[in-house]
Amino acid sequence: MQYQEYTQSENNFEECTKCTVCTAYCPVMQVNPLYPGPKQAGPDGERLRLRDPGFFDEALKYCLNCKRCEVVCPSEVRVADIIQAARIKFENKPPKLRDTMLANTDTMGKLARPFAPLVNFATRQPVTKVALDFTLAIDRHRTFPTYSAHGFEGWLKRRRKEQAAFQEQVAYYHGCYVNYNYPKLGKDLVKVLNAMGIGVQLLEDEKCCGIALISNQLIKKATKNARFNVEQLAKAVDKGLKVVTTSSTCTLTLQEEYPNLLGVDNSAVRDSLLMATRFIYEKLEQGATLPYRPDFHKRVAYHTPCHMQRLGWGVFSQRLLQMIPGIEFIPLEQTCCGMAGTYGFKKENYATSQAIGEPLFEQIRSVNPDVVACDCETCKWQIEMSTGYKVDNPISILADAIARTD
Amino acid sequence: MRYDAVIVGGGLAGLTAGISLQKAGKKTAIVSTGQNALYFFSGCFESIQEPTPEILSLFSEAGVRVHYTPGVRLMPMGTFKESALALDDVSLFPAPDFGKKVLIINFMAYHDFFSSFLAQGLEKQGMECRIRFLNLGDLAQPELGPNQMRAVQIARKLDDVWEKVVQEVRVLLKDEDTVVLPQVFGLNDASIPERIRQGIPARVVFAGTLPPSVPGIRTQNLLKKRYEVLGGTYLLGDRVTGAHVYEDVVQNVVTKQLDRHYLEADHFILASGSFFSKGLSSNPFKIYEPLFELDMDYDTDRNTWYDPTFANHQPYLGFGVKTDAEFHPSRHGVPVKNLYVIGSILGETHPELGSGAGLAIRSALQVTQLITGKP
Amino acid sequence: MRVPDCSVDPFRLCAANMLDAKLHGGQVRLQTEVTGILREGNTVKGIRTHNRNTGADQEFYAPIVVNAGGVWGQELAQMAGIKVGMFPAKGSLLIFAHRVNNMVINRCRKPSNADILVPGDTVCIVGTTSSRIPLEECRNVAVTPDEVTLLITEGMKLAPRLASTRILRAYAGVRPLVSADDDPSGRNISRGIVCLDHEVRDGVKGLITITGGKLTSYRLMAEMATDLVCKKLGVDKACETAIHPLPGSEEGSYEEVAKKIWENPTTAQKVAAARMGSRVSRIRSTDRRDEALICECEQVTMGEINSAIDRLEASTLTDLRRRTRVGMGTCQGEFCACRAAGLLAKAHGCIEKERADIDYFLQERWKGNFPIGWGDTLREAEYTQWVYKHVLGI
Repeated sequence: MQYQEYTQSENNFEECTKCTVCTAYCPVMQVNPLYPGPKQAGPDGERLRLRDPGFFDEALKYCLNCKRCEVVCPSEVRVADIIQAARIKFENKPPKLRDTMLANTDTMGKLARPFAPLVNFATRQPVTKVALDFTLAIDRHRTFPTYSAHGFEGWLKRRRKEQAAFQEQVAYYHGCYVNYNYPKLGKDLVKVLNAMGIGVQLLEDEKCCGIALISNQLIKKATKNARFNVEQLAKAVDKGLKVVTTSSTCTLTLQEEYPNLLGVDNSAVRDSLLMATRFIYEKLEQGATLPYRPDFHKRVAYHTPCHMQRLGWGVFSQRLLQMIPGIEFIPLEQTCCGMAGTYGFKKENYATSQAIGEPLFEQIRSVNPDVVACDCETCKWQIEMSTGYKVDNPISILADAIARTD
Repeated sequence: MRYDAVIVGGGLAGLTAGISLQKAGKKTAIVSTGQNALYFFSGCFESIQEPTPEILSLFSEAGVRVHYTPGVRLMPMGTFKESALALDDVSLFPAPDFGKKVLIINFMAYHDFFSSFLAQGLEKQGMECRIRFLNLGDLAQPELGPNQMRAVQIARKLDDVWEKVVQEVRVLLKDEDTVVLPQVFGLNDASIPERIRQGIPARVVFAGTLPPSVPGIRTQNLLKKRYEVLGGTYLLGDRVTGAHVYEDVVQNVVTKQLDRHYLEADHFILASGSFFSKGLSSNPFKIYEPLFELDMDYDTDRNTWYDPTFANHQPYLGFGVKTDAEFHPSRHGVPVKNLYVIGSILGETHPELGSGAGLAIRSALQVTQLITGKP
Repeated sequence: MRVPDCSVDPFRLCAANMLDAKLHGGQVRLQTEVTGILREGNTVKGIRTHNRNTGADQEFYAPIVVNAGGVWGQELAQMAGIKVGMFPAKGSLLIFAHRVNNMVINRCRKPSNADILVPGDTVCIVGTTSSRIPLEECRNVAVTPDEVTLLITEGMKLAPRLASTRILRAYAGVRPLVSADDDPSGRNISRGIVCLDHEVRDGVKGLITITGGKLTSYRLMAEMATDLVCKKLGVDKACETAIHPLPGSEEGSYEEVAKKIWENPTTAQKVAAARMGSRVSRIRSTDRRDEALICECEQVTMGEINSAIDRLEASTLTDLRRRTRVGMGTCQGEFCACRAAGLLAKAHGCIEKERADIDYFLQERWKGNFPIGWGDTLREAEYTQWVYKHVLGI
């Protein structure tokens, strides 16, 4: 009988050779002595947890889920997934009110929108911040993202006819950030794609990708959202459409976290899901063109969000930006901004977040760009708050760089 | 995306090839699954007895400070090993001119630098040793926790306060002619080891620790930066999972993350390393190269793969992909015309190139010459 | 079909027994080799020993000498001029890198090769084989490639998952089977416990031999031996070891024990509590540095290692491995060997000895790795070779 035909252990954590590269590159390890590090939290800990669930280490909650451990692992161990999966399985603590509020972005967005100007005003006031600090342990230093009075979905719905007129069509998973906080990014994407002769349509419906729900242990809701989103994506894919995204974290969640952490099968839609920068770059590579403005000049520093690094698609955003005439492109050395979504809002994590992000902030200050390019919205909040420099999604920069088509 | 050359593997061999090709005006991409053996680099470039100007400029242009001093270096367990070319951190001296009285400095609660074994090894060779411990918490706040005491974290702290270490050592120094420090200096600044030497009135030798290797990480960072500054695309955290080969010519390679976005090139270089990085794979019945299934040079009797004595040379470390004089591998005896193989995946199939760093660098430079057609 | 089965931590069992003896006034001397049995006429008076750590020779006297030397029992008896026929039976086993089962799994058939899969600590073990070997080979048992093949193919029948599980190491031990009589052919191997009163059997006073049996019946064997000793010494007391828990095994799960000592125990503290039972209170420390992990794979802290050195007679890396699991994880001593050796050297002061100990330990680990040297094990072995030869210069 032939045995062990395979050299890859089917247990991914067993491929760990204990080289400790992950631990050397973990941003949390550098600043928080309470975190055991990815090797221990992940493959080492897995052997113990298989022996007895009681060995689950509460300190796993300090993991940012930045996935840098996975990016640097020479053995292809999905360290961050092992840690997150353990948290999902064993961290049986009911989430606090604060975490539930932070994680339910769709709900908070819908509630805030009718009162957006008031909400935005209130969250800027020091007295509000102090109150939130005391009552909910949301750190008072943290700047809140603003809410938009007008959602993106409504804006695009009103232009349905004109978008349908384009010969080529693409669907857009916009995510909660674009819809509730920053519709401009969605509008920028439409502008760029229209300039290439591509019309943009919404999915029939969509929910928040659920990354914040996963991080805050609201797994049931996250799984519900996941199944719903996969269904909606499938409807678009069945129509022969590709689905583009503008957020690196949404993309990673839809592509990887759904099957790996939530057990939601997305195999029918995965290949049709593309970040907009990849989609546009591939089009340009195949001969499409963009009407660049001749008078566009910008000094742009590109920051690769951690999840983008994990996706491996940072090269597309970079290439796309480099192709813009008049751009002075400076790639920043990849390092975590420290925000990690809802992580950085929490009082107990604030100092860690800022300590982790400091090398990046220093880099940005020394480069002194006109704008920082970045595909992740929470990186944007963090960098803008911590350095004062403006951050734009590469799509927004691209939109700025092309002539208006109307 | 189309390139002149796609390099599978971003370690010393892959980076050397990438840098030299970019310098020669070629457009290249490197695909690297995580970090590589530079992560635990000893600091010494083995089997390079006489570095060529090309090798030296490879380093100097990247900001990697090396020196060429045929002699011996101090190993962490107190022995000496013949070496010739090493990073600045690694002192090389003509044997046996090491010193008579040695002050060994270690950090309290740091378990990865074996000062007592180092001392014992030196004492066996007739030297007098004294060990003193510094308290890192006194030098830099906030203090590192007991499980943060690793070379790379200590180095991050010391990058800011190395001058305090120099001061402490000067105070502790009595009549010793040599001071040994652990290699935990200069993570981001390659000039620090030399500046420490200048600050201490004795010969200063930096000895290695358990991984991570601070000089190794620094070197990796510098080489990668150099490659990117020259215009290379370094795809970290991706893995080449397949290739399309048509009529003995590689058309493109497929990566895990880029999936349908194949990487096309005129030339492909396989620098995927040895078993550690899965450049070579094994099961109970065979050893093989998993990506292209290239012909290998090894004995299929598993009992011949190992020497039962740990300390002896292990045969499996010498197994590698068979190539011709121009580094082309073959599949079932048929050479793959535009594929080259370099680095530790060659095992001991090219003994004339040496081993380790020597093998990586020499094979990479020779393949660059073959591709660019320039000497 | 379920049978009342369970597994035990043999290392903890051994340490607890040793501690119990010490707590009751016994002396424990490790690294002390018996080099002769002192016999005057037909009476055994004591033993001559050689201490491997100090190099000193010493004699001990007692009215009774108990030969509990396992497979070495033949050699020991020989020193008293007595013939005890041992027929060592080698058994090989495979250790897998993690637990695929949490219950013992047995083949339901007559006892044969590789018919049991036992979970233990962080691993599971499949075994075993049985083959007669000459006494001389006992000093150097090795697992053969055929045995490896057998264990894997049979093991897969117990648990198909084993086919795709990383094998940690292969090891072999020797069963001390003894002949019930003087027959050199070994036709009359006793399957049970053998307790020999040499006064009755061979006319030599002051020596008994207890051997045969299995781990499961070790306490019963001890009871038999001590009952015989008491009879000879005129001590009229019943054996109580069946009712008293061993040190550290009083009430409480490892979680309860850990929570009692540290309000919010870390994983390493819980793991230590699982290894030591309530004895883990000994490693409670106010010095944070004691929490440094020396062996990361098995979560062994510096505090636990120092405690094993201080209280559990650990003076070599192999001792430490048995007392604390240092070196038994997936890296097989790659990182921890030198770290732990440093602590040992500090404790007993002889660095030269510890340096040699590292070599010995690495060789011993390699012995169990190369028989299953493929896949992730080979990758690990390569990394170990690089670190030790190129980085450390061992």
